[in-house]
Amino acid sequence: MNRGFWRSGDPLVWTAAGALALCLIMLFGLVGLVAFRGLAYFWPAELVQLELADGSLVVGQVTGRERIPAPGGTGAAARGRIQLKVGNRDVYGLDFRWIEEDLITGWSAPPELAVVERLEQGDAYGVPVRLLQDGEVAAQGDEILERLPAMLAEAAALRRELRRLERDVVGDINRRIEAARLALVRLERQAGGGAASLQGVDPHQEAAARGQEAAARHREAIARAQAQYEQVLQEIAALRRQLSGRTLVLALAGGSELSVDVASIVRIYRPNAMSPGEKLGFYAAKLWEFLSSEPRESNTEGGIFPALFGTVLLVLIMTVAVVPIGVLAAVYLKEYARDGWFTRALWIAIRNLAGVPSIVFGIFGLGFFIYGVGGSIDRAFFPERLPAPTFGTGGILWASLTLALLTLPVVIVATEEGLAAVPRAAREASYALGATRFETVWKVVVPGAMPGILTGVILGIARATGEVAPLMMTGVVKLASELPVDGLFPFIHLERKFMHLGFFIYDLGFQSPNVEAARPMLFATAFTLLAVVLVLNGAGIGLRNRIRARIEKAGPG
Amino acid sequence: MKRLSGLVLLPSLLVAVLLVGAGGTVLAVDPELPSYQPVSGVSGTIISVGSDTMNNMMALWAEGFRKFYPNVRFEIEGKGSSTAPPALISGAAQLGPMSREMTASEIDAFENAFGYKPTLLRVGLDALAVYVHRDNPIEGLTLAQVDAIFSKTLRCGYPESIDTWSEAGLGGDWVNRPISLYGRNSASGTYGYFKENALCGGDYKDTVKEQPGSAAVVQGVSVDRYGIGYSGIGYITSGVRAVPLARAEGQPFIDTRVENVVSGEYPLARFLYVYVNKAPHQPLPPLVEEFVKFIFSREGQEAVERGGYVSVPASFAAEQLARVVEE
Repeated sequence: MNRGFWRSGDPLVWTAAGALALCLIMLFGLVGLVAFRGLAYFWPAELVQLELADGSLVVGQVTGRERIPAPGGTGAAARGRIQLKVGNRDVYGLDFRWIEEDLITGWSAPPELAVVERLEQGDAYGVPVRLLQDGEVAAQGDEILERLPAMLAEAAALRRELRRLERDVVGDINRRIEAARLALVRLERQAGGGAASLQGVDPHQEAAARGQEAAARHREAIARAQAQYEQVLQEIAALRRQLSGRTLVLALAGGSELSVDVASIVRIYRPNAMSPGEKLGFYAAKLWEFLSSEPRESNTEGGIFPALFGTVLLVLIMTVAVVPIGVLAAVYLKEYARDGWFTRALWIAIRNLAGVPSIVFGIFGLGFFIYGVGGSIDRAFFPERLPAPTFGTGGILWASLTLALLTLPVVIVATEEGLAAVPRAAREASYALGATRFETVWKVVVPGAMPGILTGVILGIARATGEVAPLMMTGVVKLASELPVDGLFPFIHLERKFMHLGFFIYDLGFQSPNVEAARPMLFATAFTLLAVVLVLNGAGIGLRNRIRARIEKAGPG
Repeated sequence: MKRLSGLVLLPSLLVAVLLVGAGGTVLAVDPELPSYQPVSGVSGTIISVGSDTMNNMMALWAEGFRKFYPNVRFEIEGKGSSTAPPALISGAAQLGPMSREMTASEIDAFENAFGYKPTLLRVGLDALAVYVHRDNPIEGLTLAQVDAIFSKTLRCGYPESIDTWSEAGLGGDWVNRPISLYGRNSASGTYGYFKENALCGGDYKDTVKEQPGSAAVVQGVSVDRYGIGYSGIGYITSGVRAVPLARAEGQPFIDTRVENVVSGEYPLARFLYVYVNKAPHQPLPPLVEEFVKFIFSREGQEAVERGGYVSVPASFAAEQLARVVEE
């Protein structure tokens, strides 16, 4: 029986199936954990009010529960404790608190408890009791929640207007000043150079006069911009005054009160009084805010839009850089190069390149692209800004090119496999019709290898999206206040540093000052990164399937 | 601490100490600190490379500064204090936040490049806390004990290495439990400071689990019941407890409350620094000058407090500011 059992191959089948099951469990376990913890972040959790044995009251959201290890053995292992997010960082110092379950004597969820999301200092939890306008009571009790939404909308509109003024209008003025200042520096430098190589007096004087004229023009431009700036500053000050003056007073659990500036409130809600429908609406609004807004409070709150944008743009630039080079290299190696020892050595080198640790590519990017190429560009085109570097420091262009190098072997190898898969009959038919070698390669072989090429691109994107190590040397930052693409000429600023989802996760997990408060955001960001990989891959796979279907329809078979 | 002695003498410190609330958690800055006054014509990009301990403070300063100058761009990199000097020397950064002072060789390298020394600004105070798990009942540790826990060289004079919690004086279920050590990687200024001041310049044990960030140390200790680690006080969470420390056997244990940090009584208190490149008799670039003014304004020091550190008093701020701003 034993022999038959082994010869039937059943054990191997079972082992194989087991291995697959293990892989699936690990995969779904990980994705499930990230998805669950990430997506739960947006749900309005219940606010509980606990009475403790010493008579004090605590309000917060339950965020964790654990068993207390029993001293000296297994005897009284039933004791547990809960982690409560108590918020009100400015009052309590810490957002979280562990409370032993033994000490809890009462547990309730009063509907009047409200969560106040603030621009600074995190959430505040309490009961709204008074709304003050310039020190006078404007509303009390339930009336507050009726009047607040309109005020918050108004404040949000004012904030948007403020932001437009500050960012676009002031930004434009600042740029004009900076440009004029740099032009002045350039003129000074030219004048200095002219004096050193002074030969004929007349032409020099003429040049100097022209220079002075230009300098006067630039100074005038600066003065004009300054005057405009003063005006805008007054507008901004007026807006700020309009924003201030309203205060919401919350009664906290301990009996004390907390004043919150209405202008700093993002939203206010009563999670215990919400219907399931309202909760769903809230969930959608929170999710949208997460995806579309900028981070606050050193990245522990708000949204992740700059990081999301940076990640996608990085991968797109990388794709644009790597595909033509990789495909052309593979076509030459496969179709034109003679199959000698050199070509074979080259293939081995390319395959080995795929195994080089990504950090090595990062170091290469730093040394070659940033210090080498970037430094030369700065010396040649932006000397007036030195020693402050323009391209001679990390930026999205250099990071993309480094990633392009990293994924180049993947694309070359996949293209080669795609080219090899084009049937011999197709080539011969092309030659038989009188096509030249060039025509055969470009009109028959490469289109036939398209699915293979796209497979390479998909693999490359999947690898590049998850890479963080090389980016840390080539320009990723914790906080970049401007996107690499905006509405100001020349619209795409490839020299700028950028934010990236992978680095965002690393930074939140290891460097965040408030790592407990950052944890839900961490999971949500990790889930977003997974989703981005999925979407980018999905787009690639969709394109590949369409091309494959077209080839099959038009093909000989 | 000899670095703190200059500050301890400042009379205004007494004011700061009195201001601290009884709870010690709700913080206030010196009311005499001036509010920041914006000027016109400030624009450009500020690039800061350096300490990861100060990363969040830099981010908070950036947020605050951009309220006044919405179009100033910020790029903040924080991968360890040792990354600041090369970045300043190459001109890749205008600001070098560091959680320790530059070493002589770093200053030499800077001087070789520019012909003058970098300018040091003391922008805030930090207490380096020794964290244990929140269940850990330990009352306190002497510096020599801390050295015996973390170091294999025992330079601070403890007779033997401490490897279990019972050797550190705990009983109950802690007896014979090995101590699990968490620390920072060697690029970090916290690593260097702790080595210099808590280990008397000795070497770390090989069993220290080196973490890539301060939050990772705290995170590690909060899930490891027998763990111990060190990080800035700003990283404290509800999962850990900062152990009170004593300078020597028989002296009182001092906790990390603000007044103990400001008075210099807490043994592991340190300054936080920002280095700038300022040529003698030449003003700083306008953008950097305004940012430095902002750091030493009320708004800037409030950001220090919000980042979990301790702000400096007004007269001290004025003195620091005078190093780079000539009126």
